[in-house]
Amino acid sequence: MKITLRIWILIIALVLSIIAIRPGFQSGVVITSIDQDSLLVKEGLGTGEIIKDINGKEIKNKQDYAQILTELFSDKVEKRTDIKTNKNEYTVLTNNTFGITVENVPKTRIQTGLDLRGGARALVQPDVQISSSELDDLVEISRNRLNVYGLSDVNIKGVSDLSGDKFLLIEIAGATPADLEKLIGQQGKFEAKIGNKSVFSGENKDVRNVCRNDATCAAVTSCSPAQGAYFCNFAFTIYLSEEAADRHAQITKNVTLDETGQYLSEKLVLLIDGNEVESLLISSGLRGQATTQISIQGSGTGTTRDDALKNTRAEMRQLQTILLTGSLPYKLNIVRLDTISPSLGEEFSYTLLMAGIVSIIAVSLIIFVRYRKIKISLSLLITSFSEIIIILGVAAFLRWNLDLPSIAGILATIGTGVDQQIVILDEAFRSKIVSIKQRMKQALFVIVSAYLTAVVSLIPLYKAGAGLFKGFALTTLIGITAGVLITRPAFSDMIKKLEEN
Amino acid sequence: MDETETRNWYDRYYKFTMILPLTFLLFSIVYLVNFNIREGDLIYKDVSLTGGTIITVLDKKVNIEDVKKALEVQFPDLAIRKISELRTGSQKGFFLETKADVKEAKPALEKHLGYNLTQENSSVEFSGSALSSGFYQQLRFAVLLAFVFMAIVVFLVFRTFVPSFAVILSAFADIIMTIVMVDLLGISLSLAGIIAFLMLIGYSVDTDILLTSRLLKQRDYKLNRQLYDAFKTGITMTLTSIAAVGISLAIIYSYSDVLRQIFTILLIGLGFDIVNTWLTNAPLLKWYIESKEDKS
Repeated sequence: MKITLRIWILIIALVLSIIAIRPGFQSGVVITSIDQDSLLVKEGLGTGEIIKDINGKEIKNKQDYAQILTELFSDKVEKRTDIKTNKNEYTVLTNNTFGITVENVPKTRIQTGLDLRGGARALVQPDVQISSSELDDLVEISRNRLNVYGLSDVNIKGVSDLSGDKFLLIEIAGATPADLEKLIGQQGKFEAKIGNKSVFSGENKDVRNVCRNDATCAAVTSCSPAQGAYFCNFAFTIYLSEEAADRHAQITKNVTLDETGQYLSEKLVLLIDGNEVESLLISSGLRGQATTQISIQGSGTGTTRDDALKNTRAEMRQLQTILLTGSLPYKLNIVRLDTISPSLGEEFSYTLLMAGIVSIIAVSLIIFVRYRKIKISLSLLITSFSEIIIILGVAAFLRWNLDLPSIAGILATIGTGVDQQIVILDEAFRSKIVSIKQRMKQALFVIVSAYLTAVVSLIPLYKAGAGLFKGFALTTLIGITAGVLITRPAFSDMIKKLEEN
Repeated sequence: MDETETRNWYDRYYKFTMILPLTFLLFSIVYLVNFNIREGDLIYKDVSLTGGTIITVLDKKVNIEDVKKALEVQFPDLAIRKISELRTGSQKGFFLETKADVKEAKPALEKHLGYNLTQENSSVEFSGSALSSGFYQQLRFAVLLAFVFMAIVVFLVFRTFVPSFAVILSAFADIIMTIVMVDLLGISLSLAGIIAFLMLIGYSVDTDILLTSRLLKQRDYKLNRQLYDAFKTGITMTLTSIAAVGISLAIIYSYSDVLRQIFTILLIGLGFDIVNTWLTNAPLLKWYIESKEDKS
């Protein structure tokens, strides 16, 4: 069979798509996020690097990684650990896990959405109408907060819907922190008061800097058991502006000492969004002093020591984040929040794949029964699979996350694609009165008309529902466009050739 | 001579075939008007449209009936469905759906199960009621707009009133009848279910466009032969779609509420499409072409 120009175009499109998908068989685990206080940050390890080997043991997948971690750190003894990645070698001395999260190296560049991969998606709405530029600011502040907090695999964007409402869409892949709601839903209005007077707040650039990731000025100071639980304390230093320091001096000047004489009788009270989070004793030596350095203290609890430690670190990090990133000029409501378990996703992808393959095979069988020609069934099978590959290729190229609506879109496209191939087939085998060229032209007319109706009916979907169904619109558009431009012409040529032979 | 006889029969009675679908369409419209008066909307809505919480729990052991009984008192609108393993049919977990806020539903469920729901063992979806109803309005509007756009394109493509109208009528009937069927089956529509109606517009006009363009643009055979050819093509198209959608539905059934609903709606819609394309659109078109030929 001679390969015509249109079939060549299909072949080229397929090759390009496969390059875009780039299937790979690399083993190892890829680093998806690193805690800011991880020792490995200082060593220069970055996200995206692939860990190949730890202490001479090959790491093939997540299971290997988890196993080696338990082997290394179950006894809590400090050990030298050599980590080899695809870029570099690192050596750390530690008795604790590295503070990184890893994933298996993806086999392809196709990115699946949260509903398949697991993760969290939140749609956040301000309680006032905001402008587009205010929405941009909100995106910036939220991104900043999540980054400062140490979440890296995060996608934040502002979206608006058909009625002009604006939202913040936050998508976090993989494991999500339990305090996500607090982190993104908080207005973060911070204020420190002595008595009724404000000493410093988040608004006026009072806080110059916040110490973090530096054990000399930010650390969990002590942990102790009490009443069947553990309590840990943390402390970190913040640096105030001169004005705030002066204010501190003015306010404390007239405060009396308490009965012990060690502290002032008024405490420094920290408020976030109007709620008291900590109250700190002020040592008598600070009375009337313009101090620019203040130590912020707090605590956390847990049922075990590890739990308490973890919670305390999280508390500290949250406070640091808020102090550092400032507050929002309005309240936020989480209007939609989905957290999806990754364990459900894996099997789901398999099921979807199976549904797709079985469907296409069934359709090819029906076509075989109808036309009794194996070559035709095969052409149809090839064309349908080509279409899937092209959609996936374009999606990988656009770095589009394939979520459930996107996959529904792919299935819809295959369905309409098969329909149009049948139109071509029947046109080819129908009457011999008009030339095959004429008949193919006729088939193409039907196809283009159907294409146009489909395109226009997808347009309204693009914005409706704050773009939650954009995926469906996009994959369907890619699919039917590739169909009209690439696969359908190629298929009609294949059939023409088969018919001529 | 069988074929000639059938054709003669068809020529004589074809207009009457429209009675069946048109009666059904009329019944559907009356039903929907009544339904709208009774329920305040054309469909039953699930929590993704009204606001509420959906929790998916992976738990192979828990007795789902017990969960239901325990929580029904606090959440009267509670709906629970089992998720089962595709190959063995054994329990994998369950879906729980309620209009209540996640802050009430999650702790209550945790208390009954005796363990915390984490990302390891569960998925939680929550949407606020104002947002959900807002999205619902928008998607409904999107479907309406899509339908209008589709109608405009059909008119532009065929440029004649009756054939274009027949295509649009058939798509309209598909959608209306599918809504009625969905209501009769007691299905509560989700956000994704509305997307299915959008997909249905696409599937439904495909066969109608094929039929119309075959009959209007090509004059190589007699009308009935052309109609029969178009029918053969169109029915193959719809049957392959039904096969693909049906198989996908069977495989996906217990896995995803979203896809299950999309495929169910498509399956119903494709079924009606056979009726509306071949018993409404085809006779209308034949009528139109023959009366035009009589005049000329």
